[in-house]
Amino acid sequence: MRRREFLRGSAASSLGLAFGGPLAPLVAHAAPAAGGTRAWEKLYREAFAASRGSSQGFAFHCSNCQGNCAWRVFAADGKVVREEQVAAYPPISPRIPDANPRGCNKGIVHSREMYQGDRLLFPLKRAGARGAGKWQRITWDEALTEIAAGVMESISRHGLGSLMLYCGTGILSQGRRAGPLRLGSLLGAQRLYPASAVGDMFTGASLAYALATTGHTLDAWFECDTIILWGINALVSRIPDAHYLTEARYNGARIWAISPDYNATAKIATNWVPVRPGTDAYLAMSLLHVLLRDGKIDEAFIREQTDLPFLIRTDTGELLRHRDLRQAGKDDLFYAWDEATAKAVPMPGTPGHFKKTLRLGDIRPALTGRYEVMGHDGKAIPVTPVFERIKAEAAKFSPERTHSITGVHPDLVERMAADFAGARKAIVNIGFSLHKYVSGTMTCWAAALACALTGHAGERGGLDTENNWSLGGIAPLASPKPARFTSGFFGEWMNGEMAATMRRHYRDEHLRNATGYGFDDVEALTRQRLERGGSYYGKPRVLLLFADNMFRRNKAERQHREAVLKGLDLYVNINHRMDSSALWADIVLPATSHYETWDIRGELGYHRFCNVTVPPPDLRRVGEVRSEWEICLALAEAIAKDAGRRGIKTIPDPDFLAQGTDKAAPVVRDFESLAADFTMGGKLKSDAEVVAWLMANVPQITPWTPDDARKHGFVVLNQEAGFTSPLYANRPYHSFERNVYLRQPYKTLSGRQQFLIDHPVFRRAGWALPTAIGPARPTSYPFAFYTPHTRWGIHSQWRANTLLLRLQRGEPLVWLNPKTAGARRVQDGDRIRVFNDIGEFRARAKLMPAVPPDAVVTDHAWEPYMFDGRTGKNAVVAGLVSLVELVDGFGHLTFDPNWDGNMIAHESAVDFAKVPE
Amino acid sequence: MTRQLAMVIDLNKCIGCQTCTLACKTQWTDRGGREFMYWNHVETQPGKGYPRGWQEAGGGWSGDALRPGRLPRLAEDYGVPSEFNYDALFNDAREPLRPSTPPAWGPNWDEDQGAGEYPNAYFFYLPRLCNHCTRPACLAACPRQAIYKRDEDGIVLIDQDRCRGYRYCVAACPYKKVYFNPHAGRSEKCIFCYPRVERGIPPACAFQCVGRARHVAFRDDEQGAIHKLVDLWKVALPLRPDFGTEPNVFYVPPLSPPSFETDGRPSSRPRLPDDHLEHLFGPAVRDALARLEAEIARKQAGHTSEMLDLLIAYRHGDMFRLDRPKEAAQ
Repeated sequence: MRRREFLRGSAASSLGLAFGGPLAPLVAHAAPAAGGTRAWEKLYREAFAASRGSSQGFAFHCSNCQGNCAWRVFAADGKVVREEQVAAYPPISPRIPDANPRGCNKGIVHSREMYQGDRLLFPLKRAGARGAGKWQRITWDEALTEIAAGVMESISRHGLGSLMLYCGTGILSQGRRAGPLRLGSLLGAQRLYPASAVGDMFTGASLAYALATTGHTLDAWFECDTIILWGINALVSRIPDAHYLTEARYNGARIWAISPDYNATAKIATNWVPVRPGTDAYLAMSLLHVLLRDGKIDEAFIREQTDLPFLIRTDTGELLRHRDLRQAGKDDLFYAWDEATAKAVPMPGTPGHFKKTLRLGDIRPALTGRYEVMGHDGKAIPVTPVFERIKAEAAKFSPERTHSITGVHPDLVERMAADFAGARKAIVNIGFSLHKYVSGTMTCWAAALACALTGHAGERGGLDTENNWSLGGIAPLASPKPARFTSGFFGEWMNGEMAATMRRHYRDEHLRNATGYGFDDVEALTRQRLERGGSYYGKPRVLLLFADNMFRRNKAERQHREAVLKGLDLYVNINHRMDSSALWADIVLPATSHYETWDIRGELGYHRFCNVTVPPPDLRRVGEVRSEWEICLALAEAIAKDAGRRGIKTIPDPDFLAQGTDKAAPVVRDFESLAADFTMGGKLKSDAEVVAWLMANVPQITPWTPDDARKHGFVVLNQEAGFTSPLYANRPYHSFERNVYLRQPYKTLSGRQQFLIDHPVFRRAGWALPTAIGPARPTSYPFAFYTPHTRWGIHSQWRANTLLLRLQRGEPLVWLNPKTAGARRVQDGDRIRVFNDIGEFRARAKLMPAVPPDAVVTDHAWEPYMFDGRTGKNAVVAGLVSLVELVDGFGHLTFDPNWDGNMIAHESAVDFAKVPE
Repeated sequence: MTRQLAMVIDLNKCIGCQTCTLACKTQWTDRGGREFMYWNHVETQPGKGYPRGWQEAGGGWSGDALRPGRLPRLAEDYGVPSEFNYDALFNDAREPLRPSTPPAWGPNWDEDQGAGEYPNAYFFYLPRLCNHCTRPACLAACPRQAIYKRDEDGIVLIDQDRCRGYRYCVAACPYKKVYFNPHAGRSEKCIFCYPRVERGIPPACAFQCVGRARHVAFRDDEQGAIHKLVDLWKVALPLRPDFGTEPNVFYVPPLSPPSFETDGRPSSRPRLPDDHLEHLFGPAVRDALARLEAEIARKQAGHTSEMLDLLIAYRHGDMFRLDRPKEAAQ
């Protein structure tokens, strides 16, 4: 029985009398009646006591939220009755505000969702066509047997690569994610790289640092003089840490919020920069322009820490390499012009140099000038430092010149540049929205360059995409054997056959003018990438999909879904709720949600706390749900049994080699021992055991144990957790201290912060160094369509939550500027149709003066099933990829977690019209 | 003499996330006829707020006389709490997930709408709860004399045994923070979480505020944030002081980034118009904002500021002082 069915018990007729209308006071009393007893007050005291439950546990919410907050979970009669933040994280220093009471509006209502009508309770099998909404309940045994047969049938007929076992961003914790990772790894299944599948790669940072995610713990905001929030609505998307911004402002920081709409973050900023959608790269170049024009640069820093003094050949546009000077010379040894000796000298710290340090010794690298060096063929090679190129490029983009493109007044750019350059400590946060424009790579790369020019690194701040911790020791659990690790954006682009929508929506010539590349470039590079291999393994025929809303997330919604589904012989969705992707499955398996099993999460670098879920002892799981680990173990057993029935004991997998003592041999996929391998010989049968294993084997968690977790719900990571700096116990974390203070080389091709990429694709497209490009948005429809993060969900998770929908308007909304709406006679609350040549969707209009007049905006990730006809907002988003993000196999631009691309989400153009009710 | 537990909400730290709203909701009002009630909510200002048009619904005092007030309507002013057709996800291919009845209003209906013209749009978040007033109009209006103010902490409560649901208190409250429970036939409202406070746990909305915007202390606790911010530094002000009820919830008024001139040049004027802030917080708001800005300028110049350090709140636990000061307890 639901508790919240308001008014069901009341007769509607009586309500008319209870609400509404004037009610004049009778007489004013000064005090309550004398002699009143207060015994009744126990009413609310008892209600409060009941809300604390009969047993207590701890939890965090392991979705694709980077907040990672510890909660107390109270249970009674087998059910969660309430959750409340632990609010007990220790302060790291008296100078820095503590991290309490981390949490948000989503975490606080998860328990309501556990018992909501969309919760999956039993294994279901479709009883009609895919997506027809007809289901029959089946037993776990039936489900497992059928899935195992499908898996074995497929891999025995079509090869190991025909199976995709992918755990999406709904589970990013180390505990619950381990099951799908381990099973997929043992089987050699395909899995996507989640960060690029959802379009969260910071390729601008990858170019500069060979690291996509870098930055600070967010308490580092507090001591900043200047904070630039670029395309990040932190008050909405970083709710637990937003207080460090408001507190930094009280501490004297100047905060610059750059976004097309006046959002919650702009509201708390000292300055809002209203940039036109997709023109950020022009603004970034103007920022560089001012810094360079006024000489506000830290020359010592850029000479040592960046490739700006590296010599570039003015005849070819390539960096000068050892091979230019010596026959059969090295590819990865680069040069600068030494002012001390007046000759080109190899730079220490570049990969090909014997000195593995950035220390320059006696070298005084020139930043300017034109020089000649003698090539190995005896011919003179004209060269100049990269810095000269950078200066010349930035000179093109004065704030006066970019004003008409960005809409940002030059005064604002000048002030921002002065604030930034004058700051002792400045942080530039790049939001996840920027790289959803083609120009995002450039904006981010240029922002990294601005940080380099002004020496903002280490304790002086610098670029912040997102800090993550380095958790070691997990490989034996999560990847005991190599899996088919697939580029997320490229895999989905190929599987969804999305090139067709690119061709339909964009105009080749316009795209070429705006971005430097056209359709044929994309297709040529796609072919090259397929020939190269190693990042794509073909369309899967069996898909076991855990916690991933693939058919909500992808662009060209229907096109993608149909292209993927038509190739699938079996599609299993493992989920705690019926989402827009589960709706299309052949079999749906019900999984535990955030409070029902042990879990641990510590890789998120916004703070240093590693949270542990410890279910309340009195909690009963709903229905027949099982944890991901239990499901994967059961699948392993079922697959082993089916393989045995087929007489298959092992399948060699020559795509991967295992190095033995003296020779390499193909990896062998062992089916007979699959279940035993999965549990490490019986050691890991439950989530509690997996968490205990992780706590014992991840060095960054030392010395904490599950007993500590039971007491506090979290533990503190130790000094080893930082990738590029130590994590000091009493200071916020800052990246790159080992490079800046200890002079260790960066992992880039140049060994330094890199601002020139001389790959032929980059040079041809005009992307070799930071410059302004975009917007790619076609002019065939009048409005930019962009979809910022919402405060009401973590992507699609929580979007269908009853309590949260009551705090909105109950259904999807499209934000329109009142003038824009008025021109099409649309009023607040009207139903509208948003359309272009890709498709259309319908939703209600909400008039927002804060939204720019040239845009149609909807907050991100409503479930498609919430819209008319269950067609979501991605129906109007064409598939588009960025050419340079397709580059693979060039120095640090080689497919791995730090180099992959994005599906472009914010470059589609739309129109809209009112729909008669 | 009545001691008064009071709250300061810092509007420069409120991020509009509604965690307080839901902390209160899951603590008290998700059951038993309270589903439509939000004892605590956050509304966007300027806006009609919640219940819709509460500022124009009368109530409060005109001198020593109670002003007439209106009862808000359920669907139009509060909004009926929606239920959803989750079943459709299991038995239908086309029907979208929707509220069973389209809502006409809700507690956050005009979220982020505000006013102004792009790029000079403006808005801010205003969290609201019962003000536990020193001159509570609800108390005075109750014909049953069921409403009282506790001596030990000044919390205003509706005796659920005495109340007969006449709703004079609902109309009399100028903040429209008393609600009629149609199931129970009685009126209910924010109880300042007295069952928590009595155990030394701050009110849910304050303790669980992730923006760290809420301070709770006794008004007469000279070391407490309320005394300092309200009485000493005068940077925290009551909402609509003209209603005459003498609220005990106070607000640090909101700063805002500068507006733009017509040519796009940044102006020297904040984008929130003074007259709107004055309408909400009275004429003292100008001085309060000036004091706040002066302190921030001092910080920027490298000086210390006790006021800003208090507002920053280095330790979350320090924002709450629920114990009586020793001298008062004796």
